[in-house]
Amino acid sequence: MAQISRRLRKWTNEMLDLPQDVLLDLPRITLVGNKELSVENHRGVRHFSENRMILSLSQGSLEVEGAGLMIRAILPQEVLIEGVINNIKYIGTGESS
Amino acid sequence: MKIPTLSGLRGCVMITVRGEHVNHLINALAESGIPVWDIRPTSDHTADMKVLLRDFHALRPLLKRTGCRMHVSRRIGLPFRMVRLYNRKFFAVGMIAFFMILFLLSSLVWNINVTGNEKLATEDVLKVARQAGIKPFQWIFRLDEPDKLSRELSMKLPGTSWVGVERKGTTITIQIVEAAEPEKKPLVEPRHLVSRTDAVVSSIYAEQGRPLVEKNTRVKKGQVLISGILGDGDAHSQAVVAKGEVKGLVWHEYNLQVPLVQKRNVYTGERKNKSYLVLGNRAIQLWGYGKEPFAKSETITEHDPLTWRSIALPIGWMTEKVMEVQEAEETLQQQEAEKLGIQGAIRDILAKYGSDSQIISQKILHEKKENGKVYMKVLFEVEEKIAEELPLVHSQGE
Repeated sequence: MAQISRRLRKWTNEMLDLPQDVLLDLPRITLVGNKELSVENHRGVRHFSENRMILSLSQGSLEVEGAGLMIRAILPQEVLIEGVINNIKYIGTGESS
Repeated sequence: MKIPTLSGLRGCVMITVRGEHVNHLINALAESGIPVWDIRPTSDHTADMKVLLRDFHALRPLLKRTGCRMHVSRRIGLPFRMVRLYNRKFFAVGMIAFFMILFLLSSLVWNINVTGNEKLATEDVLKVARQAGIKPFQWIFRLDEPDKLSRELSMKLPGTSWVGVERKGTTITIQIVEAAEPEKKPLVEPRHLVSRTDAVVSSIYAEQGRPLVEKNTRVKKGQVLISGILGDGDAHSQAVVAKGEVKGLVWHEYNLQVPLVQKRNVYTGERKNKSYLVLGNRAIQLWGYGKEPFAKSETITEHDPLTWRSIALPIGWMTEKVMEVQEAEETLQQQEAEKLGIQGAIRDILAKYGSDSQIISQKILHEKKENGKVYMKVLFEVEEKIAEELPLVHSQGE
């Protein structure tokens, strides 16, 4: 069933040309320079320190590396990170999963 | 973006959280919809964050569930300030009292200026204004409207054509436009004009009254020139103020003596300055010590006190100029001496009998030179005003 619904959603997405984050529950990441990072559709904070931050996503997680990182604000669906951002990396988001 | 609005006004606290899994707490907070911001990790197991004061008590079960501990590190916002202010009541009372006193004092009348009055005394205007309620230390809100006040003042002040009352801050300006009144003539009693001296009338002009003499009439001292009685002097007469101008020829005899050697003091130009500092009624000499080198001198003193506005202060400066004087002698010829004497006499006549007197003729009757002086007897014939006022006394009747 799950597979059918996913396929249906993928098909409607292609047919109707809708943004993927709306239908597929994917994160939308906005990066302002290397100073500000806004992640929508996250699934919580997994690790949190000054230099490294890991956010859970619907599939896998997102690793942010930098210096002096802080969470400016956090809401159930959205998080705004400030600091000097050096590296953004996806972990465990293979096509297969 | 997601920081609650007016967090300063609503009050927020900065808390330091300690625990194995601070991120669990953050997730729990986010899920339960409690606004939390400025989360800054300080070490592996501690983090600072800000929450609203409103949500502070909702934190406790979440902390328990995630096994974290926290303590408040900073209190921010108005509610905490209010608590502090409440603890310092007298400070707050003083602040309120300050503004109240400021407000009260600025709603008092402090100054009253009166402008534009020339004949009216300022004190009189202020007195009338006081009756109308304009006085120093009066409440401004107890004053009437300016147009009412100006109407009242202009009714009460005689001799004004317009009175304006204007308030600017704590100062009230009363502007006065005085009515142009005709000049009042001095009150005079009915009178005659009589002759001041023996003379021969040279011209007579009666403005009011009845002329009794004519040109070239010889008059005695005290003779009526212009009568103040109109009519026949019996039942149908009327007393008026005699006015007019009567000129007559008068003879003045002068005994003059003029010394032939005239002594005069002349400045040589040499001088010495002395400066004093004046304190009260003492003067301390600062400059110009030493003996005076002049045989004969004249001293001019200038006192220059320090003034503030129009008040002379007891501190000042005084300078003395000691000027050397030399006596100059001048020897006159007899003719020059005569001229000098006559000029002096003419000046005396003009001063005594009016500057519009005219010297008709002058004659040296007698002249002699004796003891270095010239003695002269001079007769001047002068045309001058001879009229003098003589009041009419009613009870005597005429």
